[in-house]
Amino acid sequence: METMTECAQPIGFHFLFLRLSIKVNVELCTETRPSVTTANRNAVLAFQSSKKSRHFTYFADFSENVSLFSRRCGYVGKSARRTLQLWQGTMKEIGGKFGSSVLTYFLFLKWLLIFNIFSFLVNFGFITIPQLVYEPSPNIPLNVHFRGLEIITGAGYFNNTVMYYGGYSNETLVGLVDYNMQLAYFFTITVYMVLCGIALIFSMAKSFKKNYVLADSATSSAWQLLCSWDFSVTNERAVRKRKSNLRIQLKESLSEKAQQELLTLPEQLKHFGVHVGSWLLSTSLAVGCGASIYFLCEYEQKHTADTGSWSLLQEAETLLVPFVVSLINLVVPFFYSFFNEFEHYTNQRNQIYALVIRNVFLKMVILGVLCYYWMNVVAEVFSCWESMVGQALYRLVIVDFLFLMLGCFFGEFLRSVIGTRLISRLGVPEFDVGRNVLEIIYAQTLGWIGIYFSPLLPAIQILKFFILFYLKKVSLIQNCQPPRRSGRAAQMKTIFIFLLWFPFFVGALSMVAYTAWRLPPSEQCGPFRGLNTTFGVIEVWMDDLVDIPGSHWVIWIYQKVIRSEVFYFLITMIILVVIYIFWQVTQGRKRLIGLLRQQIVNEGKDKSFLLEKLQNLQKSRKPTSKPNKQKGHSKERPGEPPTGSHSNAMVQALLARQQLQDEMDQSVPSDTSNSGALMQAMLARQRALSQNGDVYHRPEERVSSFQTAQTTRNQENQESDGHYRMVSPTNAVTLAMQARQRAEGTREDDTDYLPSSVSSVMRQVMQARQRAEEELNSPSQNTAPSGSSALIQAMWARQQAQNEYDDGY
Amino acid sequence: MGNKQTIFTDEQLDAYQDCTFFTRKEILRLHGRYHELAPHLVPMDYTNEPDCKVPLSLIVNMPELKENPFRNRIVESFSEGGDGNLSFNEFVDMFSVLSEMAPRELKAIYAFKIYDFNVDNFLCKEDLEKTLNRLTKEELTPEEVELVCDKTIEEADLDGDNKLSFADFENMISRAPDFLSTFHIRI
Repeated sequence: METMTECAQPIGFHFLFLRLSIKVNVELCTETRPSVTTANRNAVLAFQSSKKSRHFTYFADFSENVSLFSRRCGYVGKSARRTLQLWQGTMKEIGGKFGSSVLTYFLFLKWLLIFNIFSFLVNFGFITIPQLVYEPSPNIPLNVHFRGLEIITGAGYFNNTVMYYGGYSNETLVGLVDYNMQLAYFFTITVYMVLCGIALIFSMAKSFKKNYVLADSATSSAWQLLCSWDFSVTNERAVRKRKSNLRIQLKESLSEKAQQELLTLPEQLKHFGVHVGSWLLSTSLAVGCGASIYFLCEYEQKHTADTGSWSLLQEAETLLVPFVVSLINLVVPFFYSFFNEFEHYTNQRNQIYALVIRNVFLKMVILGVLCYYWMNVVAEVFSCWESMVGQALYRLVIVDFLFLMLGCFFGEFLRSVIGTRLISRLGVPEFDVGRNVLEIIYAQTLGWIGIYFSPLLPAIQILKFFILFYLKKVSLIQNCQPPRRSGRAAQMKTIFIFLLWFPFFVGALSMVAYTAWRLPPSEQCGPFRGLNTTFGVIEVWMDDLVDIPGSHWVIWIYQKVIRSEVFYFLITMIILVVIYIFWQVTQGRKRLIGLLRQQIVNEGKDKSFLLEKLQNLQKSRKPTSKPNKQKGHSKERPGEPPTGSHSNAMVQALLARQQLQDEMDQSVPSDTSNSGALMQAMLARQRALSQNGDVYHRPEERVSSFQTAQTTRNQENQESDGHYRMVSPTNAVTLAMQARQRAEGTREDDTDYLPSSVSSVMRQVMQARQRAEEELNSPSQNTAPSGSSALIQAMWARQQAQNEYDDGY
Repeated sequence: MGNKQTIFTDEQLDAYQDCTFFTRKEILRLHGRYHELAPHLVPMDYTNEPDCKVPLSLIVNMPELKENPFRNRIVESFSEGGDGNLSFNEFVDMFSVLSEMAPRELKAIYAFKIYDFNVDNFLCKEDLEKTLNRLTKEELTPEEVELVCDKTIEEADLDGDNKLSFADFENMISRAPDFLSTFHIRI
């Protein structure tokens, strides 16, 4: 435990060593089980002892201190972030009862809530507070009073407040500082959208990297047995349920194997026809809903006047469109699920994807129609049209929330009552993660579109998501059961983040961008009145900047970079080239993975072949002839491996190896042997790494690293008995091989030289095996393969080292 | 964060932060949990690094582990000597590896240890059978158990020795992206 403090020092290399030491330890440990701390302790001791022997420059010291300092700063940030975490206990409870796939929904909801909190703080701080300070009381026309209906419709009293775009002034507010409201509004919205986009892209990339690998199908037995158990489930009933689900799935997959028959051509055509039919049906349904909403909007618009004050009935009428939209969003997905029942999919994943795509298409059609209507019709007709759009969005958000609550009630509560009391065959409903996630993605998109037209809409979103969290949690615990089919949660999470980014965020961003770029702002209200387009505020600012000395660089950037097309063209070309290069690298790596897998298979065949040959040779050899053979070949000393006694060396090497394996089963190497071997492996690897990277290309140098590893090890352990020393050579060999294998598997790019070396070594082993196979067929047994085989050379080198310290076998 | 705690020295806490994936607060909270497992055994003052171990039977009764079919194996894999008695370092190690910040390679190593019942560094057929029985409450017939284990070995064994080495296991894990989120215990 005193080494916990020592552990603090070589921090920059901590993770590398943690991984390395633990990996090597796993390979090595037989009876003893060093934990992370012991392994770490040994690794650290080894590293420190080797460090002291090297000459440390000031620069290395300094860089180590810098990395240590930055890690400590990182801890402060991390712990600050952890204290602000909401709902930790709830997440644990939900995860304990329902597993991680249901938990992804709640984590997603929490993540979106953070977006809204950030947006609210930014908007409130930079736009609303200055406006409120400047003009504490909004200028509302005289005959408008607060009626309760505003909370739902957002019109009426709220119309001229800071809730909407229209409530903001377009002047430079004179106060403590000169605050240019136009610029502030423009830049706040722009910066927020850009930051959102960047955050989404980063988390999408991170999720892709972690989760979207070449995945096995979820029905493979190996996966079900070893990877599918959810360790975070802690509730007894849930665990029992999972066990029985797993049992059912295993039985299904065992019986499924017999049923995979190929479909005949008429059946295939029939399935294809059904697919096409249901796609056509769902597309036309979506388009039909879109058209109906458009006509409904037009109808409603004819009945509304462009005055500031509306009667109660007129206000209530504005709720018609949101009501219909939410109704469509609630009902049509059930039709889609219904169509899904008739279709026949080859695997479950395609089924889920098809359903998700259809729902996404429906929601995009609805949003697209609404945006089109707002931008083309509302912008022409109404005087303060941004506020009108803001109100429409407000209504949509509120009614969507009401329908989500209703959906919770009807969808889950009633369904569970029906399932348990009335038709007990149906059972308790499963929590449908996909549908719920799409609902909150849609809700968030409304918020993103609305941020330009109604800066305080994020406040409503925060409330909505907050209440929704608790509502869903209660409904989940009371009414639902966890999903029966476990699997693919991580991939679905990636897809949801991607969906959040691609049609929804990009759509919202393009709508806001189009509004800012093309549409003329309304002339009587809002911060951009008087300008031709919203973007004109930048031009005005540039004109102002000309007068201020020292800011010419800003104008230069604006004119030469942002407004010039050549710049964007160049950037696009560069990005395309980089993407192409990365794509080619990925293709190459995929091929390499296939090759390496094949080599692993070959390695196994090599091993079994060599053992077989050893057993054959053992049977045909007499025991007394061994020492002579050994003396015979100890005369030969040089760089070239002796050809005559090659098979003898091989025999003895393999015999030694087998003996050691037997002995290792009985004996108990102490902890120091493991740590010693660890040090050995790391020293050897260090030496290899410190050389120019060519070390693995030439087997002789590799042999030399074995030799040095063995000699140092033997020097350290001179008082140990013979069998212990014999542990080391085998360990060194296996270590090096496993290090090689591991190095193939690690994703760190500091070992780039490995692939060619690996293939050369493997080729040599395979060639040796092939030659040995040929040799078996030929009568003379003494002519050994003359090529330098790394394996045989290694064994020979080990023999040599052994000869230096042993008196005989 | 501002109040002085006397359980650990600052250097100890820094060392814990560096060697595990937890922050200071979480380590202190873990110490609290460790203490309440065996209040008479675990001292509140760890500054002079006492050498005490909480026995296996108390640890597997923690609510996070109580219902886990592999609770004994989990605790044994993290204990030195394989007997299941954990010192505080090993306790923190265990939850650090099982937390969501641990990388996949580390989790794969320990998952392999957990499933390796006879501790021979290979997942042989008996190991797989025991795993399966724990996962299904022994309600599969012996033929089905054997069939599933055979299929598993057939699917995952790359080098043809009829048992799964760590490389085989890691290869399989790399193709299961859910592993990171399922091999996770919140504390």
